[in-house]
Amino acid sequence: MDVVLQAPRNGIARLAAIHPVLPWIVAFVVLLPLPYLTTNNYQIYLINHIGVMIILATGLNIVKGYCGQVTVGHVAVYAIGAYTAAVLSVYFAMPFWITLPSAMIVSMLFGVLVGFPSFRLEGAYLALATLGFAQAVEVFIRVTDYLGSASGLGGIKAPVLFGFSFDTYQTYYYLMLPFVLFAIYFAFALLKSSTGRAFMAVREDPVSAAATGVNVRRYKLLAFVISAAYAGMAGALLAHMRPGYIHPNNFTIIEMVVVLLMVVLGGIGNIWGAIIGAILVTIIADLTRDLYHYQLLAFGLVIVGTVLFMPKGIGGLIDRYFVSRSFVAARDKTAERVRTQLDGDGEG
Amino acid sequence: MKRLGTCAVLAALMTTVAATAASAETIRIGATMRMISENGQKYGQMMQDEFDAINAAGGINGAEVELILLNDECKSDKGVANANRFVYQDNVHLVIGSTCSSVSLPIVDVTAQAEVPQIIPHSTNHEITQKGSEWVFRVPISARYYKGVMAKYVGENIGTNIAYVYASDAAAQADTEGLRDEMRQQFGVEPAYWGQTQEKEIDFRSHLLKIKTLDVDAVFIGALQEPMARFLVQSYEVGIPADVKRLANSSASNAPVPKLAGDAIKGVFFSAAYSDSDDRQIAQDFNQLMKERYDVDKVDHDFSQAWDLIRIVEIALNNAELELTDESLAADRAAIRDAIANVSDYQGLASGPISFCAESTPECRDGNRTPVLIEYLSGGEDFEVGILDRVTMPVDFGLE
Amino acid sequence: MFFDFLVVGLSIGLVYGLVALGISLIYSGLDIVHFAHGEVFMFGAFFGLVLYNNMGFSYPITLFLAMILTGIMGVILERVFYRRLTSQGGGYTVAGMGMIICGFGMAIILQNVAFLIWGAEGHAFDLPFSMPMQIGGIALPKAYLWILLVSVSLMVLLHLLLKKTKLGLAIRAVAANKDIAYLMGVNVPLMISLIFGVACALAAAGGVLIGPINYVQVEMGYLILIKAFAAAVIGGFGSLPGAVLGGLTVGVFETFGAAYISGSHKDIYAFLLLIIVLLVKPTGFLGVLAKVKA
Repeated sequence: MDVVLQAPRNGIARLAAIHPVLPWIVAFVVLLPLPYLTTNNYQIYLINHIGVMIILATGLNIVKGYCGQVTVGHVAVYAIGAYTAAVLSVYFAMPFWITLPSAMIVSMLFGVLVGFPSFRLEGAYLALATLGFAQAVEVFIRVTDYLGSASGLGGIKAPVLFGFSFDTYQTYYYLMLPFVLFAIYFAFALLKSSTGRAFMAVREDPVSAAATGVNVRRYKLLAFVISAAYAGMAGALLAHMRPGYIHPNNFTIIEMVVVLLMVVLGGIGNIWGAIIGAILVTIIADLTRDLYHYQLLAFGLVIVGTVLFMPKGIGGLIDRYFVSRSFVAARDKTAERVRTQLDGDGEG
Repeated sequence: MKRLGTCAVLAALMTTVAATAASAETIRIGATMRMISENGQKYGQMMQDEFDAINAAGGINGAEVELILLNDECKSDKGVANANRFVYQDNVHLVIGSTCSSVSLPIVDVTAQAEVPQIIPHSTNHEITQKGSEWVFRVPISARYYKGVMAKYVGENIGTNIAYVYASDAAAQADTEGLRDEMRQQFGVEPAYWGQTQEKEIDFRSHLLKIKTLDVDAVFIGALQEPMARFLVQSYEVGIPADVKRLANSSASNAPVPKLAGDAIKGVFFSAAYSDSDDRQIAQDFNQLMKERYDVDKVDHDFSQAWDLIRIVEIALNNAELELTDESLAADRAAIRDAIANVSDYQGLASGPISFCAESTPECRDGNRTPVLIEYLSGGEDFEVGILDRVTMPVDFGLE
Repeated sequence: MFFDFLVVGLSIGLVYGLVALGISLIYSGLDIVHFAHGEVFMFGAFFGLVLYNNMGFSYPITLFLAMILTGIMGVILERVFYRRLTSQGGGYTVAGMGMIICGFGMAIILQNVAFLIWGAEGHAFDLPFSMPMQIGGIALPKAYLWILLVSVSLMVLLHLLLKKTKLGLAIRAVAANKDIAYLMGVNVPLMISLIFGVACALAAAGGVLIGPINYVQVEMGYLILIKAFAAAVIGGFGSLPGAVLGGLTVGVFETFGAAYISGSHKDIYAFLLLIIVLLVKPTGFLGVLAKVKA
């Protein structure tokens, strides 16, 4: 167990010491052959889905885990991203390379809108305000003919690069991979920066953060906008994935709860946690597919169980493992030193 | 330790491969449906029971049929995931699905790309077969036939000044828009009122109050079961007189509607694929069977369509020459597709014959084109319906 | 016409207000937003359905028994599940999102348990009411009269209980500050269970009263719940008269929006109003000062 957990950690540290981007390049190369290790296309489909979910959950983690803002509106921003990309692709025949940035920009604008109530509201109130926003967006999509309303919006084209079309799950994986890695890298870089520390200061105590010169409003809004950019990216990637069809049923409160579960199960405020959560939840949901509604029942039980018995999630457990390990190591070292000293004393 | 982990992963991968390889010599069918509803569960069970019965009677030319049932909750992403699992992981020979049009629409692209035949049990949205996939077949009646029959009958016998309200659900939307378009085309009239509600709406009275002032000939409601019942009851509460005809889309045939709506269902007029007051012997026997097996008092067209689908699949599988080895998967899938396309003049519970043909056009793939016009005579637990007419539509009806 | 729309708005508003009562009570006592309350409401309706349709109790007794049963269910939910969360934050309060997520999870569990027991089909109460009342152009089912009577009397009763009795004083002490209430000798855990139980009983009253007009079905809770949230916040989160007032406001607002702006966008109006009220006056109409993070 020690080796399994410790070896990659040390490896990453060694690589990062050479150049900070190096671990990511290595990760990219390591993940390249993944579609060829799977036994069938369905698994690649799932992996692509996990990719979208990782981006979405990481975005939520920034605003919720790091900045401590309780939002239920993330899924609405995700929907806005997906529908922006879809509309541009279907009605204006824009290529993916325009729809994706546009989706991110539109999502960020709405991120401002969702973030704005956070100036005055906290906790439960903020949750309800963002819930209202999410509901309004969902209803709006359902009743707007231009957005396909209840029939859904189909015919979203596959991304094309230099004449090469990403229209299979395999090729889409290679389109997705750089985006996912970049999203994770950016999250790490952000949180190591002063901005990340400001986020955490706001989370811990907005009043004392303000007292130490952090512009609380600015950072709250920034967190919402960045997380909205993540949601927009995830939405655009979902929209362009085969079969290129989106429907308001894919952006309901249940989907929000799924993303919440990913973040909570993986560990709130722990980037690896959200990633582990996205992977685990997607895989478990797939394995329990044959159980119909028992699947939903199990899903509810996992949510309640995680919140009650493992509030820090899996990421928290891993963290604790390392913390206690370094504690044990330090204790052993001290004991060793004391023993040598005692031995020396004895000799002397 | 590390090596042990790698071994475990490899072992797991190998068992997966072994598991997929071991299940040759069977015909695998994947069905994705909305299993989180009363009827969904019952006709899911019926499919399972029927295929079990086929197996018990010696299978299809000696091969066993294995049915994999999954729930898509009427959500397109889940339906697409189910379809992908069927075609790539379970290596099915045939996909059945889905209940909801919004799920069937994207699945058509999945099965077309993977080249797996797909047969649709309930979705009515006309676009499903207009995508040009050569792998898709539809057993229920397409919205384009429903609208034609409805519009003709309504326009000639009830009036053309109609108010429309529909819930945000793909089938309801297709039915409502279809009728509106057809009224435009056949009679040149625009809707008197056009409104939309949420899928599980509880209060329709603001729509209805506005409709009340418009002096319409009829009110059309496209919705799922419970909201439809509420709509009908509330239409009397706001005082829309009984001589304004209430029209509904085919969900009105689902048994809970008349039970919930009570007297408000009286006179409601709709078209569906089947009515349990059908006096043909085959229909009477079927009603009896459903009552005995699943305790279904009033059999609606969801059951009859699922039944017809099973029979058509059985006929096609019996006619197809299948090798059922791992290597022949693609050939078997194509053989099943061709066998379904060859099903012609199937006489079952549907009110008219069901025929498919080889071209990937809606003319060939919308097999059933005989809607029944039905009117409720009374509501409540022992509701009664009367059949007004059966109309077999021309194959190219409603196509541009 | 205007009058008819008003009647429609007020009648549906009463429905929202009745559900909002329980939500508001939980918030005032425990500082938590209970997202599974819509499912508790649904369970209450199903209990009522079984008691009335299958066991043949009279309607008022059904109402009473369903409230008791659901109240007990609420106490069990709180003791077994939520207590872990409420006792974690120190002083039995929950700051942040644990409770929100847990509520969603519980909603999914309850909905699927109900599905396994009763199936997905909608059920109708065998209507206990005679002819509807004619008000203007609208024939209102008598159920609305019951809703009016029961919600106002429950509101008054609870208001008196909270303001005039010693028990009420203890509950208010718990609501104000759990640590100090504890030091003053109030049995805080008991009071929390009591608040939760009563709030769930209120939801059951809503379920049994609304069941006859909207049918009883496993998915009936969610739409009403979010409207009730809007109602509770708009009226003033934590205030019981505010909940009813907020319900009426939401009902009238959305009905007039549907009448004079666009009928198809009806369900958006309540949420817009919710967001506007939260931005302009987070305390709502009758709310006490919005509590900051405990």
